[in-house]
Amino acid sequence: MPQGDYIDLHRKRYGYRLDHFERKRKKEAREVHKRSQIAQKALGIKGKMFAKKRYAEKAQMKKTLAMHEESSTRRKVDDDVSKGAVPAYLLDRENTTRAKVLSNTIKQKRKEKAGKWEVPLPKVRPVAEDEMFKVLRTGKRKTKQWKRMITKATFVGPAFTRKPPKYERFIRPSGLRFTKAHVTHPELKCTFNLDIIGVKKNPNGQMYTSLGVMTRGTIIEVNVSELGLVTPAGKVVWGKYAQVTNNPENDGCINAVLLV
Amino acid sequence: MVQYNFKNITVVPNGKDFIDIILSRTQRQTPTVVHKGYAISRLRQFYMRKVKYTQTNYYDKLSTIIDEFPRLDDIHPFYGDLLHVLYNKDHYKLALGQINTARNLISKIAKDYVRLLKYGDSLYRCKCLKVAALGRMCTVIKRVAPSLAYLEQIRQHMARLPSIDPNTRTILICGYPNVGKSSFINKITRADVDVQPYAFTTKSLFVGHTDYKYLRYQVIDTPGILDRPFEDRNIIEMCSITALAHLRAAVLFFLDISGSCGYTIAQQAALFHSIKSLFMNKPLTIVCNKTDLQPLEGISEEDKKLVMEMKAEAMKTVIGQGGEPTDDQGVLLTMSTLTEDGVIAVKNAACERLLDQRVEIKMKSKKINDCLNRFHVAIPKPRDQKERPPCIPQAVLEAKAKQAAEKEKRKTEKDLENENGGAGVYSASLKKNYILANDEWKEDVLPEILDGHNVYDFIDPDILQRLEELEQEEGLRQAEEVDDDFEMDGKELTPEEQQALAEIRKKKSLLIQQHRIKKSTAESRPIVPRKFDKDKQFTTRRMGRQLSALGLDPSKAIDRARSRSRGRKRERSPDNECGDAMDIDVDTPNKKLRMRSRSQSRSVSRPPGEVVPGEGFKDSAQKVKAQKLAKKSSKKRNKDARRGEADRVIPTLKPKHLFSGKRSTGKTDRR
Repeated sequence: MPQGDYIDLHRKRYGYRLDHFERKRKKEAREVHKRSQIAQKALGIKGKMFAKKRYAEKAQMKKTLAMHEESSTRRKVDDDVSKGAVPAYLLDRENTTRAKVLSNTIKQKRKEKAGKWEVPLPKVRPVAEDEMFKVLRTGKRKTKQWKRMITKATFVGPAFTRKPPKYERFIRPSGLRFTKAHVTHPELKCTFNLDIIGVKKNPNGQMYTSLGVMTRGTIIEVNVSELGLVTPAGKVVWGKYAQVTNNPENDGCINAVLLV
Repeated sequence: MVQYNFKNITVVPNGKDFIDIILSRTQRQTPTVVHKGYAISRLRQFYMRKVKYTQTNYYDKLSTIIDEFPRLDDIHPFYGDLLHVLYNKDHYKLALGQINTARNLISKIAKDYVRLLKYGDSLYRCKCLKVAALGRMCTVIKRVAPSLAYLEQIRQHMARLPSIDPNTRTILICGYPNVGKSSFINKITRADVDVQPYAFTTKSLFVGHTDYKYLRYQVIDTPGILDRPFEDRNIIEMCSITALAHLRAAVLFFLDISGSCGYTIAQQAALFHSIKSLFMNKPLTIVCNKTDLQPLEGISEEDKKLVMEMKAEAMKTVIGQGGEPTDDQGVLLTMSTLTEDGVIAVKNAACERLLDQRVEIKMKSKKINDCLNRFHVAIPKPRDQKERPPCIPQAVLEAKAKQAAEKEKRKTEKDLENENGGAGVYSASLKKNYILANDEWKEDVLPEILDGHNVYDFIDPDILQRLEELEQEEGLRQAEEVDDDFEMDGKELTPEEQQALAEIRKKKSLLIQQHRIKKSTAESRPIVPRKFDKDKQFTTRRMGRQLSALGLDPSKAIDRARSRSRGRKRERSPDNECGDAMDIDVDTPNKKLRMRSRSQSRSVSRPPGEVVPGEGFKDSAQKVKAQKLAKKSSKKRNKDARRGEADRVIPTLKPKHLFSGKRSTGKTDRR
């Protein structure tokens, strides 16, 4: 039930102030100057935020103005003659173009043999060992330096148990273990939060692959059963490869792109 | 007790503003400067603090929102239902639930990122993690922004709901649209409800308050109800239905017997019968309005029958209340709000019935037994038919009568005023009761200014007394002067001796005078060492004069003194070459001292130390105290030879005696 109509009620009964419209007009006219004053005087973070907002507004205004200025013109449409278009007196003859079509399976097999896959990030910055590992000093006098702690995001499977602490050389801290990845489908353009099944290949070396380290450019296998993909044969696809596109240790999450 | 004041809910900011507020607060309230070279733990702590701070702020703000919005199950069912009718309980709960989820999500995010920050090994990495954390928290809020907007709208609306107390005495007005409900409430309360000729002018509940028998009643005006099946009712009608259902109130069902509202009596009766289930246990009154257009007697037979049916229904509620079945005065009433005929009667009837019902209920409840024994008025049982009036003694009666008579006899100024024409015409003579030596002086006019002076400055009530004292003093002084002229050893003095005596006396009196001055101003005069004498008293010439007065030759002494003094400046000031053997000039050299000795013009009749009350002080003691305080405050400054409060000159910043010399034994670690 409308309870905010006391203003309208008052206006209905008593009307407006005698100078109401003039004041309103003048106040609106002054707004422009006030805004420019604020824009000039605002300093620091406030100023930057205001400037950004204002820039966006101006860009939008320019676009709308340009749109209004567009007029409908008549342009000549250039119809290109499509390739293979045949004049009417030759229509009956079938002109076949010969082309070699390779089947998809053969293509895939070739790629696999070559070891080259088409991935969104073909090249990544190499990660040095001292960036990847942090040396831990152990022993009574803290002189032994054979242990390493991994400073990047890792994946360990569900059946993972640590080696006895005395013997484990590479320590994967539990705070840096991730089990889920935000996977984007490149065509659908939507992102899903999918479980990681395993690390397939780390471009920095196969030691890292075996350790399960996930850096930028790593190929991981994700559980896509929730997407509901089906093979042409009728089988349900539940695992697919994806490539990591961010630096997980800097962002705290794994963003990947599905390899279709 | 849940408050029904929904005006206290804090404003819910919209999504973007919320984010801006929290982020700018984080930026302001946490340290902002950090460098690459700091210890890693310090870097981590810096960023963890920011993440934690942001999370805490979000948590607090979201918690206030969740706590302040009322839970529909915890408040009075009337309000619960009203809010459900207006805002849809499910939407409301959903919105609040989303806010709760957002709060939990933000907490989780913060926890995760703080854990990750512990592994940060560089400034860049920690900073990225912090940015990611804050970004994710703000995304959560962005997603929840529509709920925030919805809650803000609800809050604004709730704040403007009429404050209806469901537990107090209430009168509810219901009926078809346009029958005159709002006009009635405008008449009996100060509520200013819009009254218009079209239907559904009133779109919401309005509250007014009225008084009856020193008690306050709430009067609630409802929007009109149409006769429709329950499911088809719109929100506005549902408001009135809710009010009817939940409030224990006296119900006034309005009937428009003239039919000018657009609905016949038959339709209105149909409505009545369809909602009569809501009237259970409520004192019901049928009110026939607009009798100026159509009196109750003039309606047709069928209509009258319908009205009687309604009355019968209403009578049932009377019986239910415990009233007598034949008591039908408060059940069917007529009135006209236009001519205000019968309006008060309707109100009184409704209030009366409500009050009776409430009292009945209270009597039946258990609580009343606590108060019942306090209500007892003991009246002795009459044992026979003899009349026993109260007994007042005769003397008291007489005294009372005399007092009354006295009051009448004495003529007050007010009576005089009234006799002579009233307040504006007669002005009382303020002087007629003056006590003066001669009664003829009563009407005299006292002049204010005489010869350029204010007469009032010279008026003193004790003037005659003072004159006497003065004369006494004069007499004494003259006697003293006569004593002064005495002869030494009985012999007459030679003129030279007399001259010498006069000189000696003069010198002595001057010495005494100077000594007195010195003594009186010693308190507030700085002690200036001899080498700084301003008045140039201690000159060699003076020394020469003194020595020659004693009969010694001063020239050698003068030469010795002059040779010792360093680079004397030529004296410009003219030396007073007076031949007398006096050190002091005839007039005291120091102007200040001179001024002081001839102090302020004070009447000679007063002794020197006496303080006259006046100048704003209530008596001499206070004035003396004030003078003392004034002197005390300036004494220290004068002793330091400072010109005033602002004089803060330090003549020597580093006086030699404090900054020179070796320090002797003692505790010191610098030499």
